[in-house]
Amino acid sequence: MAVAHAPTGTWYGATLKEWIFTTDHKKIGMLYFITSLVFFLVAGIFGLLIRLELTKPGIQLPGLFGQEGADLYNYLLTGHGAVMLLWWAVVIWTGAFSNFLIPLMIGAKDVAFPRLNAFSYWSFLGASLLVLLTLIPGNWIKMLWTGYPPYALNDNAGPTALYTLIVDLYGVSATAGSVNFITTIIRMRAKGLGWTKLNLFVHAIMATNLIQLFGVPALLGAVNLLLLDKYFHMNYFNPALGGDPLVYQNIFWFYSHPAVYVMILPAFGVFSEVIATMARKPIFGYISMMIAIYAIAFIGFETWIHHMFVSGVPDWARVLFSYTTVLVGVPTGIKIFNWVATLHKAAIRYNTPMIFTFGGILMFLIGGLTGIPNAMVSIDLGISDSMFIVGHFHYVLGMALTFAAFSGIYYWYPKVTGRMYSEGLGKLSFWLMLIGANIFYFLQMITGILGEPRRYADYPPIPSWVTLNQLQTVGAIILGIGILVSLINWVKSLKGPKAEDNPWKSPSLEWSMTDTPVGPHNFKKEPVEVPEDWHPYAFYKGYHTHV
Amino acid sequence: MRFLSLLLVFVGSSLAQEVVAYPKVYWENSYKVWLAVAVIIYLVVAIPALYFMLKYRYRKGVHEEGEHIEGNTALEVVWTVIPIIIVLFLATYSFANFVKQRNAPEGAMELKVVGFMWGWEFEYPNGKKVYAFFNPQSYTAPEEQKAYIPAGKPVKVILTSRDVIHSFFVLPAMITEDAVPGRLTHLWFQINKPGEYYVLCREFCGTWHSHMFAVLKVVPEAEFNTWLSTGTPQQTQQ
Repeated sequence: MAVAHAPTGTWYGATLKEWIFTTDHKKIGMLYFITSLVFFLVAGIFGLLIRLELTKPGIQLPGLFGQEGADLYNYLLTGHGAVMLLWWAVVIWTGAFSNFLIPLMIGAKDVAFPRLNAFSYWSFLGASLLVLLTLIPGNWIKMLWTGYPPYALNDNAGPTALYTLIVDLYGVSATAGSVNFITTIIRMRAKGLGWTKLNLFVHAIMATNLIQLFGVPALLGAVNLLLLDKYFHMNYFNPALGGDPLVYQNIFWFYSHPAVYVMILPAFGVFSEVIATMARKPIFGYISMMIAIYAIAFIGFETWIHHMFVSGVPDWARVLFSYTTVLVGVPTGIKIFNWVATLHKAAIRYNTPMIFTFGGILMFLIGGLTGIPNAMVSIDLGISDSMFIVGHFHYVLGMALTFAAFSGIYYWYPKVTGRMYSEGLGKLSFWLMLIGANIFYFLQMITGILGEPRRYADYPPIPSWVTLNQLQTVGAIILGIGILVSLINWVKSLKGPKAEDNPWKSPSLEWSMTDTPVGPHNFKKEPVEVPEDWHPYAFYKGYHTHV
Repeated sequence: MRFLSLLLVFVGSSLAQEVVAYPKVYWENSYKVWLAVAVIIYLVVAIPALYFMLKYRYRKGVHEEGEHIEGNTALEVVWTVIPIIIVLFLATYSFANFVKQRNAPEGAMELKVVGFMWGWEFEYPNGKKVYAFFNPQSYTAPEEQKAYIPAGKPVKVILTSRDVIHSFFVLPAMITEDAVPGRLTHLWFQINKPGEYYVLCREFCGTWHSHMFAVLKVVPEAEFNTWLSTGTPQQTQQ
């Protein structure tokens, strides 16, 4: 039968109009990826400006448009935090990676609701454009991404309405996306793909979207109540009128703590994909890896008070949540031990995705171990809101997560673009990032142990603090150069050598059953069916010939 | 024998190091235990990981496939149970120290502190008040803005705020607690060594958050009492 419009060639061959009106998961994934990456760079530049400001005591940033240099600093801090978390750490997974990969990994032609998927992207882009509006000096939001009242109700904080509208649009997009991916993973798996035959990345995205579905409404509730408080003179959070600011913190962290697992679980997923493929060995303890993902997502909803250990909550609540928080370490530990065990008696290839993954795991180990003192309420009384916590979450997000994202970008680069990246530039980028980030974030934790508070535009000229801050700036610059090298690599390699269909010899569906680059209809053969004994991590002799 | 006793005195004195401030001692207890555990765990995981990375390399045509191992139930149970024991121990040890950090000793002097954008108001038991205002230029305070504290005496701080949330961080004592409008929160500290110390704001509160500090002037008790009785509350109030 003749089809009116039978696309051939690559998935990305399309006109501008087709890109705008597309409902193809691969194109939408790429739109997400580019948006996410652009905002990652903008937030990175914000971060470098913050770092330059802290290089020496005193306020270096200029006072502009009637606002103090410290106000500009607070705006940069807000922008860096909000954009790095929501536009990079969350959307790089829930938007970019999951859109491109989930249908390919489960043998589906597209997501369950392709038009809802497009809607999800365009409302996300709407939120992104609103974020760009904050670059106008009068629109500077200066209440940090947490937006705590009563400060958020104060005029010093900037336009709270803009903040609320951004989070609203973002939340609509996130909720639509989570409904879409949960449905896709439950309903659209190819014949023969049971729950224990899914890539761990698919499980991670499933858990992530469950968190989004249950959590995002709480976030939207919290920020919309801010709007009502500030502009409609209601009094949920304003103590002057009988409200309670701690109510906001409870609702906000009910989402925003589990949100850190939205960020890190897909990073674990990428580690599992890359480590099994490059070690040429099935992932160690697949079932316990899978249970650990859902356990982390579940326990993650019972720990939010640890963000409020010094905010005046009762002592018994602090102790109780101290216990629930440390328990998250157990499933997380299981995942790390299983990755290390996967390397035992393996045949490990040293390429860019693998070294990013291996480095990412060792850095995540530091991030995880330095998370414990924040959960041990006795230590937290001294380091709460210090630079220590900043160093800790940059080990987790700035290193483990970003290394996972870079590892994933390199790993799937041939499949997405049809070209091979440059190994030399990739490895150079890894070493620069590893060295720079370690100098930066490790010393940041030490200044925190010495007591330096976070969110300070200026700090007392205590000699040890000054020296440590200067070294951190050196680290940050090396880190920045490392990231730049990877960007050059990704752009330059678009003209690189052509890649094979399955360069990593993986039985996983996105590699073994598609063209490189992926064709418009995804799979070489439809419908997708897998043999009885197929498994995405079946890396044993001669296995991949089955598919 | 004489040498041994000298050695004992030396070791004893280094162990019984002079405590500069409470409750930092309890903070340090928890911190040291965590640090030791964390370093051990890091080495136990990272050394085998690096060893495997170096030993089991892919060699084209020689060693291209890993061994077919999918898991080991006994091992997986071990590395589930041992971490549970470790984290429960750490949380419980922290709990024990936390109780001491939170509960002021009997007879502590009560100091009422109110945070505002941007500064601190200190009110002493006899009603004397000291105001520490932010100074965008420096981190030094004029004499009349220094809050006097008796050396070696526990001080219980009752905190609240006049506008937004602040946090009262006593740098030498490694203790912080938020000052929340509409609520009373508390912390205690004791500084044994006379000198000048910082209190820094640790909850983001706007433009001059980073300059919202106070200087604690820790003096011997007699000097403190003299200072406290001079100047009626009306005179020192601004």
